[in-house]
Amino acid sequence: MKPNQPDLVGEYLHEIDLRLSGLPLLQRRELLADLAAHIATERTERNVQTEEQLIEILERLGSPEVVAAAAYEEAGAPRMAASVPPPGPYVPPAAYPPPFATVPPDAQQPFGAQQPFGVSSPPAPAKPARGAKTGLVLVVVLGIVGFLIFICGFLALARGGEQAPQPAEATVAPAAPAAPSPATPPSAR
Amino acid sequence: MAEGAQLASGLRRGTLEFCVLAMVEFEDRYGTEIVRRLAEEQTLAATEGTIYPLLSRLRRGGMLDSKWAESPSGPPRRYYSLTPAGRSALEHFRTEWVSFRQTVDRLVGTGEIA
Repeated sequence: MKPNQPDLVGEYLHEIDLRLSGLPLLQRRELLADLAAHIATERTERNVQTEEQLIEILERLGSPEVVAAAAYEEAGAPRMAASVPPPGPYVPPAAYPPPFATVPPDAQQPFGAQQPFGVSSPPAPAKPARGAKTGLVLVVVLGIVGFLIFICGFLALARGGEQAPQPAEATVAPAAPAAPSPATPPSAR
Repeated sequence: MAEGAQLASGLRRGTLEFCVLAMVEFEDRYGTEIVRRLAEEQTLAATEGTIYPLLSRLRRGGMLDSKWAESPSGPPRRYYSLTPAGRSALEHFRTEWVSFRQTVDRLVGTGEIA
């Protein structure tokens, strides 16, 4: 019993911690500290002697899945129900939502406006990932554009240098469609 | 069973937080005290561990304040108190709830038997 007891609580808290990776660090720490204090309080106030009693305390707290799901739900809800119209478009997290999807952009605002605790944390993990992605896309797009410009320049040089008759054809072609367009509108209107 | 749980969780959402606020209306209470009291209520069907995230949200939303204090016996306790914003939210809920309840009673037929 003795060697198992500390493990049991530690394992329980660890199982919850594992499921909280999408939450801001401070919120995570807060919940784990609250749960640890709860377990410690229950142990002393109920004078827990056996492992069975300890398991009972943990069972009343709820499974790690249930506790973590509640943590995500409370983190995602933007504000108090009293000060906000019914949360119609609010999508409850189905299972464990992807870490960055839990905090909608409008949810960061109210928290940020009220308290500094765990505020800057939600966007923090999202930014590097997003930044890295857009950076990669930018590099690829710029590469393609640069390559195209290079090809165009090369072709222009090649044309200008080698084919003298080409420009003549080019000037004829645009002239043909340009002629009918000024003729039709005046007659129609 | 599953349907019953779903109904309870639907009813709990949006009301449980005011039960929490009401618990600390007149005196500060520590987390375990609040959690135990609410979990005792079978109708609420609230799992103890899910109340801590709720307390966290209420604190982050400025409805509750909290401070850690030593306890005479055992580990430190985290005491929660109602902020002025929390107090007015609770008052607002009380008026809203009465008319809400009356409307539901009227529509569902759970009001006075007439």
